[in-house]
Order: sequence, then C-alpha cells, then structure tokens
Amino acid sequence: MARLNEEGQWIILMAFIICIALFFLALIINESTLVGQTTAEGVLDFSKSDIRDLRSEVLRIRDVGYSHELYDVPNKSAIVMDIETIGIQRKSSLMQYTINDATFVTTIHFNNGVTQYDETLRLPE
Amino acid sequence: MVNESGQLYTIEGFAAALLLVFTIYLILGGTNILTPGDTHINDMQIEQLGNDVLAVMDINETYGTGDAYEAKKSPLESYVMTNSSGPGYFRNKFNKTVNEQYDGSDTRPLSFSADVWYRSVTNTIAYYHFADSRKVTGTENAVKVSRWVHLSGKPTGLGSPENLAMRDAPQSVLFEVTLWRD
Repeated sequence: MARLNEEGQWIILMAFIICIALFFLALIINESTLVGQTTAEGVLDFSKSDIRDLRSEVLRIRDVGYSHELYDVPNKSAIVMDIETIGIQRKSSLMQYTINDATFVTTIHFNNGVTQYDETLRLPE
Repeated sequence: MVNESGQLYTIEGFAAALLLVFTIYLILGGTNILTPGDTHINDMQIEQLGNDVLAVMDINETYGTGDAYEAKKSPLESYVMTNSSGPGYFRNKFNKTVNEQYDGSDTRPLSFSADVWYRSVTNTIAYYHFADSRKVTGTENAVKVSRWVHLSGKPTGLGSPENLAMRDAPQSVLFEVTLWRD
C-alpha cells in the first residue's frame, strides 16, 4: 500500500473548527427571537397599574377620611371590606390597608400570587 | 517548504461544508413560525393604554377646601356618582382619550364596555352596566382594565336592582372596562 498522504491536515482541522463556531452563532441568532419575546412579555406583565391604583385609592380614602378612627369603626372597616372582597373576586389579588390615626401610620399590602407589595407611610396630619 | 497544490480542493470542501450547515439551519429554523399575534404584547399594550386612560380620568381637576370629598373630586368619580354615562359625559371622554393618536383618529378604533362592581347591602359582590361604545361585551382579544373609585354615598340616578342593592354609605367600587379592537 502506498504511504498515506498526511499533508493538509492542519487546514482541514481549522475548517472544521470554524464550521462548529458558525453553527454555534447561528443557534444564538435563532433563539434570539424567542428570548426577546419572553423578556418583553415578562416586563409588561408586572402588575404596575394594580399597585399604583391601590396606592392612589388608599391615599384618597385617607385624604377624604370619613372616619379616622381605628380599624373596627363601621365606616372605615366597611371600605376595607369593599376593597378586600372586590379585590379577591375581581382582580384575584389580596389588597389590604390599615389607617391608624393615633400614630399616623398607614400600611398597604398587595399580593397577587406573583408579586407582593408592602408599604408603610408615616404622614403627620 | 509549503506545497500549494490541493488548496483548491480544500477551499471547495470548506465551501461545501458551509453550504450544508446553512441549509440544515434553514430547515430546522422553518419548524417554528412565530407570528406577531402569538406574543400577547399587543394585548398588553392595549391594557397599559386602558389603565393609563382611566388613571388620567381619575385625576382631580380642582382643588378646594371644605368637604374633602367634593373639593378634590375627579371626573371619573363625578361620572359614577351622578351616573353620567351617556354622550357628553363618560362615553365621549373615554372614547376620545383612548382613540386619540397624533395624526387624527385611529382607523380601527378601540371599543369598550364599562361596568361598576360594588359590595351590596347583603354583602355580595354585584355589578351594574355603566356605559359602552357598542352593545356587546367584547370580542376576540379583549382586555380588562380597572380603576378603584371612591364614592361618598350611593350614586344618584341608578337603575332598578342596584338602586336598592347598593349601600348608602361611603364605599369603594371597582370600575371595570373591557377593551377590544374590532
């Protein structure tokens, strides 16, 4: 048998390595569409408006202040019940707040199963 | 000493390999087709727009002293308190704000249907229909946006079941609007 020709091995090896590199880059470009879409969806899915809405409503309730006594006074606890029950049924989120007029502390709690938000406001009257 | 014969064979082989790899990539890439409607980004953008429009309508336009509720009432609160849902009130204002574009009206406008959800005297959650731009409650790809509205008592001018079922006391109700593009 004639001697095996061993020339050109180096360049063929380089070509092979370059092909693998190109395949890897093509894979990255292919998956970029799906990655971009899921990232954008995740950002838009955050419950920003729910939290801001609840906060604005609690501040409005505090501002109007039909009764500024503690939790278990009829007018106040009725509005707390409103927001809690309607929030659970229509928005599938737990929304609670307390307004304490003796210590000027207002707390807001929001939890929709994915995001939890707690806030404590200390506002002197 | 470098022998230069056979370079053409090598380059031909390299080009053939590249062609094969590119063809396989094209074939495999054709298996998943992602259309713009698959992503729900359009729906979420409409949801953001609706939430923003309701937030704009819930900003108080006056500031005064005296009765805290009346002094800083927002347009949305006064529409719900006086049940002013028709043309000239809520319907036109919402329609105009949600369909406003920089270059005139949208050629394919958004339609809406608004309800008010409240807690009744019997401690159940009920709703009454408030306003709409068309007499349906949404078609494909409808989104729901909502805003809390604070009331100082029972609204005036209500229809029949809710007139008796709503509590005549300060309360918070949920103003829900279903938005869709026809």
